[in-house]
Parts: sequence; structure tokens; C-alpha cells
Amino acid sequence: MESGAISLFMSNVETIPGKSITRSLGLVTGSTVRAKHLGKDIFAGLKNLVGGELKQYTDLLNESRNEALQRMMMQAHGMGANGIVNIRFATSSVAAGASELFCYGTAVVVE
Amino acid sequence: MSVTVSSIIVGVLFASLPLFPFISWAMGRWYQSRLMNALSEKEKLEGGSLQNENHLSTASSTVLMSAQASALLHVSICVGPSMGQIFFMWFKSLVGGRLRSYEVVLEYGRREVLFRLREQAKALGCTSIHNVRLETSVISFAQNQDSKRSSVEFLAFATGLIH
Repeated sequence: MESGAISLFMSNVETIPGKSITRSLGLVTGSTVRAKHLGKDIFAGLKNLVGGELKQYTDLLNESRNEALQRMMMQAHGMGANGIVNIRFATSSVAAGASELFCYGTAVVVE
Repeated sequence: MSVTVSSIIVGVLFASLPLFPFISWAMGRWYQSRLMNALSEKEKLEGGSLQNENHLSTASSTVLMSAQASALLHVSICVGPSMGQIFFMWFKSLVGGRLRSYEVVLEYGRREVLFRLREQAKALGCTSIHNVRLETSVISFAQNQDSKRSSVEFLAFATGLIH
């Protein structure tokens, strides 16, 4: 595990495949609330003329979701875990023009 | 001279304003069918081991023990129909029935997100994908909630296994 980027074993199943869980440390969560970027929104508005994929929104949400994951990983790292199992993602529109990207999982120690 | 030319341009723009929903609808239909065709082509070209349905499952506990390593995969995509299509959907909703524009867009989004999930798995060297979960949510970035510029987000996440 490097000091800069935290690397954890992560999965959305009950175990880390190929490893065994020795200790469970409890729930870890991470979330971000993101509003649109005005410039990007204008481009997305133009894209709305034809529909299909709205690339600006896709990028924005991916970026935000990665940040939420980073926060969850930081929390797990702070608890002394080296893995997170049963990761779930959730998205909700909390306000007009903003959405919350949320992820949660169980921090574990594996070997 | 230039005044008349510009007034003609403005006149044409104003005259075409009522046509806007039709134009947007037609462009949407054309563009989305092109996207679908491109996706079908990509899926055909893809081939490979991950195409096998045994290698892409929603089950959480099969052959997990034999794996050496794993990775969390997550992909999302935002899609939406065109403004013109949304406009005509309002008329369609008077009589009910199938909303074809939405069906096409949603099918495209879901197939594309699964395609990207497989791409991501391949990039990480995974040989199979387990516990696939698909989520759908409405993302409204516009200020008013019932705006014509909301989009649907598809999220797929899974555990990729390296055997």
C-alpha cells in the first residue's frame, strides 16, 4: 500500500475472491453532491437536440462517483482496513440541478 | 442591401421556429438509430470469452473460490431522448401506449453500459464478471424539475474476476 494513492481490495460480493476475511470493521460510506457546470450544461443542452448519450453528464457523474469512492476508501483506510466488500452505489436527485452520488460498503481486514 | 439579407435570415429563422420540434424529432430518430447500429456493430466485433453468458452473471457466489484476484468495476452513462421527441411524447401520452422514443433510448443506454462494463473488465484483464447490478435513476440538472432536459442515468457495477 502506497502513501499517495490508497489501494484496497474492493468487491461487490460478500468476500474478496482469492482472499480470506479475518475481521470486519463495519460500515464505510462516501458521498458527493454535485451541481452542473454551466458551460457543460449549455453543451449538453445542444446535445439534447438529437438525444442519445449526454457525454458531459456521463463524465460529470463518473468523476463524482470516483470521488465518492475515494472518500469511502479514505474512511476505510483510516479504520485500518485493507478491503471493502459488498459495495453498493446509489444515486439521487437531492435538489433541482444537483444530484448526490453515494456509495457504501463493509470495511474488512483480509489476508 | 445587407439589411434586407439579414432581415431575410431573421425571417427564415422565425418562420422555422414552429418546425423546431419536427426537426429535433427527426434528427433524434436519425441519430439514435445510427447509435444503435454502431453499438450492434461493436457488439458483433467484440466476440471473445466474455460474450459467453457463463462469464457474465448476476449470481454472487459461483466459482468465486477459484479466482486469484478481483476488481470492482463500475460504469455509468447518461442518456436522454431529443427535445422534439419529448415534445411529441406529450401528445402520445394523451392516448397512452408504448413510447417508442423512450424505449429506443433506454435500450441503447442499457446495452451500451453493459458493453462498457465488458470493455472495462477486459482492460483490467478479468476473465469473468460476477454479481452484475444495474441501476437506473433520473438525473435532472435543469433548474425546474419538469424540464425537458432531464436525463436517465444507467449505472452498472460488478466484480471482475481474474482466474
